[in-house]
Amino acid sequence: MNTGQIISGAGHLALIGWALLGGAFRSDPPPFEVVEAMAISAEDYAALVAGQSAPEAVANVNTPEPPAPGENAPALVSGADSAPAQNQPEVNSAPPPDPAPSPPAPVPAPAEVTDTPPVIETPPEETAALMPEISPRPQPRPAPRVAPEPVAPAEPDVRVDDVARPEVAPDAGAVVEEAPQEATAPEEAATEIVTEAERPSEPAPTASLRPRARPAAARPEPAPPPAPAPPTETATRPAPIPTPAPTPPATDRGAVSDALAAALGQGTPTPERPAGPPLTAGEKDALRVAVQRCWNVGSLSSEALATTVVVTVRMFETSKPDNSSIRMLSHSGGSAAAAQQAYEAARRAIIRCGNDGFNLPPEKFEQWRDIEMTFNPERMRIK
Amino acid sequence: MMRSLLTLLAALTLWAFPATAQQGGPLRLELTEGVIEPMPFAVPDFVADTPAAQEFARNIARVIAADLTGTGLFREIPAEAHISRITSFESPVQFADWRAINAQALVTGAVNVDGSGRVVVRFRIHDVFAGQELGRGQQLVGDRDGWRRIAHKVGDQVYARITGEGGYFDSRVVFVSESGPKDQRAKRLAIMDYDGANVQFLTDAASIVLAPRFSPTGDRVLYTSYETGFPRIYVLDVANVGRRVLPTLDGTMAFAPRFSPDGRTVLYSLTQGGNTDLYTMDITSGASTRLTTAPSIETAPSYSPDGRQIVFESDRSGTPQLYIMPVSGGEARRISFGQGRYGTPVWSPRGDLIAFTKQSKGRFHIGVMRTDGSEERLLTASFLDEGPTWAPNGRVVMFTRETQGAQGEARLYSVDITGRNLRQVVTPSGASDPSWGPLQN
Repeated sequence: MNTGQIISGAGHLALIGWALLGGAFRSDPPPFEVVEAMAISAEDYAALVAGQSAPEAVANVNTPEPPAPGENAPALVSGADSAPAQNQPEVNSAPPPDPAPSPPAPVPAPAEVTDTPPVIETPPEETAALMPEISPRPQPRPAPRVAPEPVAPAEPDVRVDDVARPEVAPDAGAVVEEAPQEATAPEEAATEIVTEAERPSEPAPTASLRPRARPAAARPEPAPPPAPAPPTETATRPAPIPTPAPTPPATDRGAVSDALAAALGQGTPTPERPAGPPLTAGEKDALRVAVQRCWNVGSLSSEALATTVVVTVRMFETSKPDNSSIRMLSHSGGSAAAAQQAYEAARRAIIRCGNDGFNLPPEKFEQWRDIEMTFNPERMRIK
Repeated sequence: MMRSLLTLLAALTLWAFPATAQQGGPLRLELTEGVIEPMPFAVPDFVADTPAAQEFARNIARVIAADLTGTGLFREIPAEAHISRITSFESPVQFADWRAINAQALVTGAVNVDGSGRVVVRFRIHDVFAGQELGRGQQLVGDRDGWRRIAHKVGDQVYARITGEGGYFDSRVVFVSESGPKDQRAKRLAIMDYDGANVQFLTDAASIVLAPRFSPTGDRVLYTSYETGFPRIYVLDVANVGRRVLPTLDGTMAFAPRFSPDGRTVLYSLTQGGNTDLYTMDITSGASTRLTTAPSIETAPSYSPDGRQIVFESDRSGTPQLYIMPVSGGEARRISFGQGRYGTPVWSPRGDLIAFTKQSKGRFHIGVMRTDGSEERLLTASFLDEGPTWAPNGRVVMFTRETQGAQGEARLYSVDITGRNLRQVVTPSGASDPSWGPLQN
């Protein structure tokens, strides 16, 4: 048996002994309520009980004899009842009329009163402090350390030290060889502590500038018509924009572009102006409604009303149609003569309602520069 | 290798997003809802090349404008609104001025009276908004008395050029002119321009005349007369007002005649022994052929434009209805199945529609239906509408409308087959039983 076991056994014995002898396993009695009681004598108790005893019962009760019938019966006399005297109400004479009320004394006219508007005291103007709509940009917290002299922030690579020492680098041309050391600078410090809340900040901007529209690519204007030309607008296909010399793809991105262009069969893409997103359904509907408003089929023959024509038109950038570009691409449902009438009605519609320009988004000019319109009069056909 | 992979990737991308590849195409729209309204047009007074042509120049322009406006398809812009003045037929048109007043069509012309007294009219039709001429300019020559016909022909050209269908202005109508009280009404055959001008009487009022019908060439008129006490069919030559009666058996009643498309045969009704059937007669030989043998009443026959079929009225089903049968007779096919009584069917010159009179719920209607009886469309409704006749282009129907009461009288009206543009044809007196003739040469 080693020393450890001896110490452990002694400890355990001491603990068991303390538990048995120290009352560790005795439970305390449950708590009870203590009430004060008063002692009373037997006489006092009897006196108290006597006042509450029941009364004694009476054994004999004298009951009166009932009267014998027919004996000394009183004679009943029946006589006519006399009508009870009725007291006539006293006739009241008409009450004297009430004396006429005397007219009220004239009320003295009120003295002329001049209304003077009350002076409304203007409450002191309260100025509500509005929270800025835009929170100020957080600024670098100032250095909390207070020093007798402010110290500018050190360079990022400079170690903070109490003494400022210039950086010493080994000079290849020098004869004396000095041990290299790091540059040091005093810690950044300020002369006083100014918290962020106390620092006066510049007011937040109340409005922001509208972002500039995407700059349109420079396109040549349509060539001016010659002097003797008619006043009608003449569309000229814009001159091709100079194509920059193709550069060899230096990266995979360039290779992808080339591959896409090759797949499209276009070769190197020309820097055309951006086509912009396609026209929305609303923009298309607006254009459709605008043309339909001028599409008058009232003067068309029955056969022309049964003819669908597809018309193409090239638009100016001013959203006006190039009238000379209007062509009939195809027709169906009628003869060539009927198609001609239907086409002329469609052409009139485009020209008439496009005279002032259609409502088209200019930034999407490339999307609506060429338009194909199918004029299908099926719903307005004369059956 | 890398480049090939990228090309493949690009191809897959284009396959997956075809819209990207189509982005460069034109914007495509489909329009299905236009407007139906009269086309604004302008007909300034024609330029008078000579002082003698001054009156013609103005009157011809007015007749052209009236013709076009009367169709209901055109609306004239009055001269007061004109900005430009046409002072020379050869000068270029200032389209901007006409565009400013929304004139979509412009008719310009010049009139000259040559040395022989003939009227020479030159005219052009312009599409104002397209800024170009519609077709080529034309020239018409006629007698001084025929200036209205010249104007009608110009109007026909304008109408045809813009609408795409033939005109009907240079045509005439034969009708029964009525005068006097209702119980003693005098009836005479009369002929007039389609617009009610130039009325001429073809018969006197000695006997009752009914149902005149123009020949396909417009030179003859068939009509029914009670001159002998029985209704008989006569053929009248319009040029010399000569006439002759078609041979029929004594004691029979012949009526409701109609020329065949070739003008050589007359289709008519004959009542014999209380039964009315359809017959044809060769005008030259007078030989008749019976087409129907039903115990019912068959009447009011009308040829199809190709002369192969006949539409007629019959009460074989119990009420008057419309039937179609081959021109040589045979089984008839009923085409009217609506509520009411149908009568006086007339085949359209186009061959696509049949106009008819319908009596339903105490009112009379003029209507049209397809030759198979479908798409019946009633165009009018009144106390008494009857006897439709087609304009040469098959676009307009003229008919008789009689007003109610002892003072009521019959008048002629016309209506577009769409049911629009119902208007009265102005005649000097009462008029009934119109028959629209062909376009004149």
